Amino acid sequence: MGAPLSPGHGPGLDLFAAASAEGAWTVGEVTRRARAVIEAGLPPLWVRGEIADFTAARSGHWYFTLRDKAAQLRCAMFAKQNFRLAPPVDGVQVFVFARPSMYEAKGEFQLIVSELLTTDQGGLWKLAFEKAKAALTKDGLLDPTRKRRLPAFPRRIAVVTSPDGAALRDIQAVVGRRWPVAELIVVPAQVQGAKAEASVCSALNRIRRLPVDVLVVARGGGSVEDLWAFNSERVARAVAAMPMPVISAIGHETDVTLCDLVADLRAPTPSAAAEAATPDRDEVLAQCGLIGQRLARALRIASRHVVERLDRTADRLSRCMDHRLEVSGARLTAYGARLDALSPLKVLARGYAVARDENGQVLKRVAQLPSGKEFRLRVTDGEVNGRVQ
Amino acid sequence: MAEFSKQLERLEAIVRRLESDDLDLDEALQLFEEGVERLRVAREQLQQAELKVKKVLEIESPS
Repeated sequence: MGAPLSPGHGPGLDLFAAASAEGAWTVGEVTRRARAVIEAGLPPLWVRGEIADFTAARSGHWYFTLRDKAAQLRCAMFAKQNFRLAPPVDGVQVFVFARPSMYEAKGEFQLIVSELLTTDQGGLWKLAFEKAKAALTKDGLLDPTRKRRLPAFPRRIAVVTSPDGAALRDIQAVVGRRWPVAELIVVPAQVQGAKAEASVCSALNRIRRLPVDVLVVARGGGSVEDLWAFNSERVARAVAAMPMPVISAIGHETDVTLCDLVADLRAPTPSAAAEAATPDRDEVLAQCGLIGQRLARALRIASRHVVERLDRTADRLSRCMDHRLEVSGARLTAYGARLDALSPLKVLARGYAVARDENGQVLKRVAQLPSGKEFRLRVTDGEVNGRVQ
Repeated sequence: MAEFSKQLERLEAIVRRLESDDLDLDEALQLFEEGVERLRVAREQLQQAELKVKKVLEIESPS
């Protein structure tokens, strides 16, 4: 309270006169005095800023925050001043004419707005965002064809996020449930504040050299300022340059940051990012089971085919043998006929006879048939005994 | 787990080949054995029960 209550500000104010007997002030006294100081010291003025947290109360009064990159102010615009205006939306740049004051019931410094003009170029955030986005677009970094496919079965999943935020807890839970096969590599970073940009870039830089299959950059919800590091062109370029696919889950689903736009996939929440990064182990196991079944069935069918083919071969073999036998039979008959033609019986049938001695030796010459020699004579229908005269 | 991806791809190829007609029993048996072995390895890889979490702290690069 030192500065606003310093005696230099209100010449008619005796600051010690209001103190109680014990020398302490009541809260009401402080706020009343503060209000007096503010109202006396700050005349009505034009203020430029961006609307945030806009609400229209049932009474018709409007309440909102006016802010820029450095600070924010609570504002009230009462129904009798705003009834001719369309309610502004958050994020819009406005000029207000307002009287600085103190809302004593809450001890809040506030502007009582009597006029409100919107500007055309949108909020400062929006402007910075669009400028960075245009630069990224120009370099082709937002080209949809740049988006890489995520690995189906990641072994190492890196996460850049706040080490103690809900985002990390959520990601860890989802990956642990769906794909505990993986290794989660957490690279902590400051995800808000002045150092966030440098911290996120340095985390990304560290991951660049690690053997990682997919990277998740995550941050829970927050105001535009809170998420600002992820709208920095430097962070967006670092994300675009990562050698592995990147999933971005920054803020709520309605906040789209440059980091989201540059990433290979944008997830609405850190949990959704973890889900997108991982397959479901149970499903993969079921798939393996299916492959096992197909293997067994295919082998059964393959062996049946082989048996059928063997059967067919056996059939052909036996047909082949039948044929061979037939041919051989015919040949035998022919040989038989030729043998028959050469048979000595045929010669005998033509009237020749064969003489043999008692040993069966054929007697062909006169010398073999001396007088008195007994022999057997073979004629066509039998044998008779004979003796040489 | 790029190897895991390859493992599944090879398994799929084995099953397809095994399901085709022009295959002798020797080849069929060989493919079946390879398939069963690869399936066993794949299942084993999936059995790891607990997620490993490693925190990489600011060791190398200054922020």
